[in-house]
Amino acid sequence: MLTVEKLEAGYGPMQVLWGPDIEIKEGSITSLLGPNGAGKSTLLKTVLGSVAATGGKIRFAGRDITALPSHKRVDLGLTLVPEGKHIFKEMTVFDNLMMGAYRQEARIHRKESLELVYSLFPLLAERKNQKSGTLSGGQQQMVTIGRALMTKPKLIMMDEPSQGLAPKIVLEIFETVEKLKKEIGLTILLVEQNAAASLDAADYVYIMHEGVIKAQGSASKIKASDEIREAYLGL
Amino acid sequence: MIFEQLSGNLLQGVILGGVYGMATMGLSLIFGVLKVVNVGHGAFIMVGAYVALTLFQTFGVAPPLAVPAAMVIGMALGMVFYYSAIRKLLKGPELASLLATFSCGVILEEVCKQLFTSEARGYNWELGKLDLGFTVLPHAKLLAFGGSALIGILLYLWFHKTRAGMAMRCVVESDEGARVCGIDVDWEYALSFSIGIGLTVVSGVLLTMFIPVGINPYMGGSYTLKAFVIAVLGGLASPYGAFFGGLVFGLIENGSYTLFAQIPGLEPFAMTRFFSFAMLLVILLLRPTGLLKAK
Ligand SMILES: Nc1ncnc2c1ncn2[C@@H]1O[C@H](COP(=O)(O)OP(=O)(O)OP(=O)(O)O)[C@@H](O)[C@H]1O
Ligand SMILES: [Mg+2]
Repeated sequence: MLTVEKLEAGYGPMQVLWGPDIEIKEGSITSLLGPNGAGKSTLLKTVLGSVAATGGKIRFAGRDITALPSHKRVDLGLTLVPEGKHIFKEMTVFDNLMMGAYRQEARIHRKESLELVYSLFPLLAERKNQKSGTLSGGQQQMVTIGRALMTKPKLIMMDEPSQGLAPKIVLEIFETVEKLKKEIGLTILLVEQNAAASLDAADYVYIMHEGVIKAQGSASKIKASDEIREAYLGL
Repeated sequence: MIFEQLSGNLLQGVILGGVYGMATMGLSLIFGVLKVVNVGHGAFIMVGAYVALTLFQTFGVAPPLAVPAAMVIGMALGMVFYYSAIRKLLKGPELASLLATFSCGVILEEVCKQLFTSEARGYNWELGKLDLGFTVLPHAKLLAFGGSALIGILLYLWFHKTRAGMAMRCVVESDEGARVCGIDVDWEYALSFSIGIGLTVVSGVLLTMFIPVGINPYMGGSYTLKAFVIAVLGGLASPYGAFFGGLVFGLIENGSYTLFAQIPGLEPFAMTRFFSFAMLLVILLLRPTGLLKAK
């Protein structure tokens, strides 16, 4: 569904990605792990298009999207739950969700999408007229995930969705991620600090270090390898 | 006597302040979306003044009817400057875009000097007056105030009730959030710069309805400075905050003028200017996010 080949990207003169190759299968949860500063967020941003690729290729749903602007990538069914949420704090929960259905294709399906979001997060239905900036951290994360679902995505990339949340909420977030795969058939690329929980949720795992992929394999294989766990995951 | 004079002046201040506020909305919009301070702001007001003057003198178009033309000219200028000068500098250091907008202002001033010479001009559009006893309000000024308030309301409705306006608010709050929703952020930048400049040129038309004389290529400078004070009063990034900032500024400017005029040996006009900037300094020190912002 998504293939990243020899991707290079960075910020100005500083190159961050040094040619990682990644392949994501439809209907799977793929986890991307790695230490701080490895370039995980940069990879997701480059796939979305908010950071420009300086080399390599990104293919999504059979198309080369390397040169496509990000709004066109969203049209194709790609979206991101960004690190640090980036919700529209001054707007109501409802308006945040509706902005997720901004593109034409998503707009047509906004009623069904909204029902789906409210069924996943009933609390958002209760709070729909509340300014989203006044919600708790966990609730704001629900808004971010809900907003991403409103774009009618095929692939959702999530950048540390459990960051800074209480353990109980973290559990809920991981449950939601698995639900999205099982019940809606979404494909998910998950970046997490919480390596143990990600290994449990994921089908396939990539480990990134200093802008390159150091190891990969099925989640069970990575879990079984003491070497990889000790070297990169600190487990 | 002084009381009557003061209340008259304050009323004039509110009316002028509304127009000042309108003349700051474009600056705030551009800052809010692009985080670029348009140092050439006043030059676009000057362009609006010439649009009003030329349409009135050459074609006999009443100044309020020059507003749509000014919006179109302003938006076109905005697009040209955005794609030629601003766009590439957004990722650079702040100084780069400051210098760019400053240069845009200088270019406009010099082009207008070539077209219209540097001689100060004016026009005379008689529309009658409203005599309230303690003060006299020319209809043209009332119309300028009404137009400013109307534009402020329309902008508010556009931002809150339309999909396009909401998308622009999304960009103000978070570029990345907007991008993941599929909003074309680069286009929103161009559009907001263009609308911001359009509003500013329109405000130039409305300001001539207030002061129909002294139109010259370098008239913008003092408006740039006032707009900075007003924008800070209203909370820098909020266009309608700017409108209320304008009202406050108009009140303070006119009120302090009256009071300073009572003190012998003071030149009240110079003192109001001093007072405005003293105020700017104090606000920046105490409440850098603006006086009118809720939190
Ligand atoms: N906007 C930016 N401008 C300049 N450098 C950046 C920017 N964002 C990230 N970097 C740098 O790029 C490198 C990779 O950062 P990135 O955020 O992709 O890492 P990460 O793997 O997501 O780390 P974390 O686990 O801390 O989120 C880091 O050295 C970081 O300092
Ligand atoms: Mg990161």
